[in-house]
Amino acid sequence: MSIVLPKVSVKDLQEWSKLGEVFTSGHRLCAGCGAGAMARQVTLAAKALGDPYMFVNATGCLEVASTVYPYTAWDAPWLHNAFENAAATASGAIEAMKAMQRKGLMRERNVNMIVFGGDGGTYDIGLQSLSGAIERGHDFLYVCYNNGAYMNCLSLDTHILTKNGLKRVLDVKLGEEVYAFNQETRELVLKECSGIFNNGIKEIYELKTLHHSIKTTMNHPYLTVQRSRNKEENTLVWKTLDELKPGDEIIVLKNLNIGQSFTFEEIEISKKGDYKVHKINEIKLPEKSSSDLMEFLGLFLGDGWIRTHKAETGFSLPENSDARAKLVSLSKKLFNLEPSTISKNDVYLYSVNITRFIESLDFGQGAKNKKVPSWIFTLPQEEKEAFVKGLMQSDGYIIGRSNRYVSASFELLKTLRLLLQTMNYRVGKIHQQTKKKGTFVVYRQLLEDSTFGYICFSMKKGSNVDKYPAQTKQRDFLADNNDFSSEKIVSIEFVKEEPTIDFRIEGEHNFIADGIVVHNTGIQRSSGTPQGAATTTSPPGSVIPGKIVWQKPLAEIMASHDIPTFTASPAYPRDLMAKVQAGLKHDGPAFMLVDSPCNLGQRYAPDISMEIAKLAVKTCFFPLFYTYKEEWVLTGISSRLAKNPDRKLPIEDFLKPQGRFRHLFKPEWKNKLIEIQDTIDEKWARLVKKSTCI
Amino acid sequence: MSGVRQVVGMTGDEAVAHAVKLVNPDVVAAYPITPQTIIVERYSDFVNNGEVDTSFISVESEHSAMSACVGASLTGARVFTATASAGLALMYEILYVASGMRCPIVLAVANRAFSAPINIHGECTDQLVCRDASWVSLFGESAQEAYDETILSFKIAEHPDVMLPAMFGIEGFIVTHALERVETLSKQQVEDFIPASRIVRDRFCPDENKTFGSLVLQDYYMEIKRQQEEAMQNAYKVTKDAMQEFSEMSGRKMEILEKYKLEDAEYAFVSYGATAGNAKAVVDRLRAKGEKVGALKIRLFRPFPSLDILQVLSGIKAATILDRSATFGSPGTIVQTDIASALYGQENVPSLHGYINGLGGRVLTLPEIEEVYEKSKDYNAIGMTSTTDWVGYRK
Repeated sequence: MSIVLPKVSVKDLQEWSKLGEVFTSGHRLCAGCGAGAMARQVTLAAKALGDPYMFVNATGCLEVASTVYPYTAWDAPWLHNAFENAAATASGAIEAMKAMQRKGLMRERNVNMIVFGGDGGTYDIGLQSLSGAIERGHDFLYVCYNNGAYMNCLSLDTHILTKNGLKRVLDVKLGEEVYAFNQETRELVLKECSGIFNNGIKEIYELKTLHHSIKTTMNHPYLTVQRSRNKEENTLVWKTLDELKPGDEIIVLKNLNIGQSFTFEEIEISKKGDYKVHKINEIKLPEKSSSDLMEFLGLFLGDGWIRTHKAETGFSLPENSDARAKLVSLSKKLFNLEPSTISKNDVYLYSVNITRFIESLDFGQGAKNKKVPSWIFTLPQEEKEAFVKGLMQSDGYIIGRSNRYVSASFELLKTLRLLLQTMNYRVGKIHQQTKKKGTFVVYRQLLEDSTFGYICFSMKKGSNVDKYPAQTKQRDFLADNNDFSSEKIVSIEFVKEEPTIDFRIEGEHNFIADGIVVHNTGIQRSSGTPQGAATTTSPPGSVIPGKIVWQKPLAEIMASHDIPTFTASPAYPRDLMAKVQAGLKHDGPAFMLVDSPCNLGQRYAPDISMEIAKLAVKTCFFPLFYTYKEEWVLTGISSRLAKNPDRKLPIEDFLKPQGRFRHLFKPEWKNKLIEIQDTIDEKWARLVKKSTCI
Repeated sequence: MSGVRQVVGMTGDEAVAHAVKLVNPDVVAAYPITPQTIIVERYSDFVNNGEVDTSFISVESEHSAMSACVGASLTGARVFTATASAGLALMYEILYVASGMRCPIVLAVANRAFSAPINIHGECTDQLVCRDASWVSLFGESAQEAYDETILSFKIAEHPDVMLPAMFGIEGFIVTHALERVETLSKQQVEDFIPASRIVRDRFCPDENKTFGSLVLQDYYMEIKRQQEEAMQNAYKVTKDAMQEFSEMSGRKMEILEKYKLEDAEYAFVSYGATAGNAKAVVDRLRAKGEKVGALKIRLFRPFPSLDILQVLSGIKAATILDRSATFGSPGTIVQTDIASALYGQENVPSLHGYINGLGGRVLTLPEIEEVYEKSKDYNAIGMTSTTDWVGYRK
């Protein structure tokens, strides 16, 4: 027995559309969702057959969006059980009806059972249940609507500005308050972090502006300035990295004005009379941060070290330097302690309590691991200035209005750069230099090659926004804003594949990463429906090019159960509906794989869903066919493409309109693109070879 | 009703299969697992020999078994399945769907120990840990009780005031595979007891455009769950009445709690399932020595008959609870903590001494029971009101 596809004419569609919808309006599927179109076509095709119909639906978008209690979009018997067992549930219902009909408890008649499952509920967790039900021969049409999921994320070395200072992305805790951009008032606000997602290994790109840089995935959204011909209409919009190019303006943090002095945690201090303590330099430790203390700590971070076991805090400050004099006066003022200045090159403070205090401040150990600790980021402006002043007296150079700071610790340079970005400074990129082994530095020769870096920065001039509003706003869209400014993108470059993470932020849905305003996970989901949560853990649709298409060969797996297997697309309703009817008419299980475009996952405008679905077919990415046992038949457009190979479109046409593939069009992925085209051609050739055309 | 009692030799599993045969449900969806296998095998025989007209779905896993049962039950069918241990654990997700969607499915559990280490023998942990799944839960001591509870479970589950799934357990091998005398019922008796018509409910079937299993968010979820609790409370009275009716129909006394020589007792054993037989034997031995002791057997575990237990144990000095289930880091054995909750704050109640025993089918001997009895008495004498121990293992 072979499959006969009924002919569905446009006239038929017109007639059927008068039958009344089965999947009715009022459901909450997103605008542009392919599943909605698919569900309407499938249900209408079933209704047109005349026999009663029933639906079993696996957990997924379609189920969640269509049956929010106490409402339902289904004008039909409809049942949802769980995620992975839709086929088994249908088995139960089918057998129950058979038994009750046998016993005269239910009227005897043919019922068309249709099971809907998404790609997760079918390809992955539900495959066993589906295979089992098919093996038992239960008479239903299983429709798998296959879309993708998507995710956007940050590289792990990103720093986030939180209420408690700057934190590495991994150290941000659930419930912690992070700084965000209020899109209405355009002010800096604190918002709670309500979700953290580990998003696996992704391709990471680095975006650079004049003063900022950040590493994220291609689909991470940024707040950008949209210029219009009419200046009044200039506005801020969210765009993903793949939609941005050098010259575009993004919003960055200029200033963190709402800082407060930091209250230090109490540390254990030694007193006279403690075990083995006979003599001690009695000093008073500061309880709160102050400008003097910050200058002292700036000097320390640049030129200092501690040796707790010797109660020694040392500074490498040569005789007769201004910095040395400053340190001596600060030590007296802050701790009432006279430093030892016997050495020509170094100054020592001898107090075990000072070493412990400095140790507790988290400056990092060793020359290469020093950093600006997170608590400094939320200090008042003048204390931060004092800190930078101290730091500059150590390893800094001042040339005119420009400052340069040199360090062997790149973590220090990176965190200092971020700190300066919260202080209304212009900051250049981190430069890297290497001195060869043997070079004479200060008073010794280098024993091995030494790499160090430096950054240049300068205070921003006050802008004349009152005098020349149009001009300054042309340069900096947010010139009149105290906290934020706009900056032009200089470059976007691929870095490498590495682990990534992302957050959900309540209210504003954005946060400040490496000084740049970025959007959080779930941007395109409507008000955080459960489906948003589900997609952040679902594997398909990843931006890793090797995985974009060739998942499990689900249609082939199902066909190997010797059941009629169809592929269909909602962009070709007559083809899809004919296949639904053929599947339902078949006595026994049948399977149908539907390409269901998802504008959120695939990242394109909602009004071109059907165009995207058509391109999937026209490029032979998703061929339309059916198969049963020995028979393979290409249908619709795919059949025409097999007969006229020159009409087949290149895969670029399908990939290009979708944000999720845009990175493939960069020169470095050219080979990947060729590889994808080759794979499609090869699979298509194989399919054409074994198929007939109708 | 025939006045003649038929007596047949059957194992516990066979007794269940034969009882299900009399009920003749519409759908049985099951996957074999030791020691439940005989139930499924025997029932497949009935199906294939045309002795019943049930649709038997040989599913590919217990998860699908319970899923198919839910689908069938919502279609309006009378549904039965059986499992044990790992199979019950695999069903666990859908147990909640079954009760949440109010499917009166009947599930026979051949109680078996959980892996690891893997073991196929009797232990009741598998069923006890399903206590919060909103299933009516019963235990049987013998093949006879397995037979009776099979039929009784349908009556309770399908009662319009209940409409919840019901499970009953018999211990693997100890009951499931032991050949015992079983007084059977006639087809007519069962049909009188359980009406042939199917329950009246919203059904997943053609002509009824109804949505089942919709997404329920914060605004309605709790109300729906609360209805389950009310159904569970109703199940208590329904079970009591059904047992009364069953006793009259069969001539065998059936009660939520079986009381053995408790009238004048100062001390009591509390147990459930097969252990109750041993407890009663020890009561006889101790009575012969002049001890005032009796035994209480719990047949209904969910809804937990708190008030009945309080009533029965009032005035007892010390209760020795024999619990064939494993729990770790718990304040008492699983059943002991429930009893303690039922007695809490009441006056004139016994001290409770729980003993975890018989795990993985280990035999608890009569001398061992006597030993723990003495131990409980000693604990009670020095004023310890609650103790929990393990018994019958190599130290």
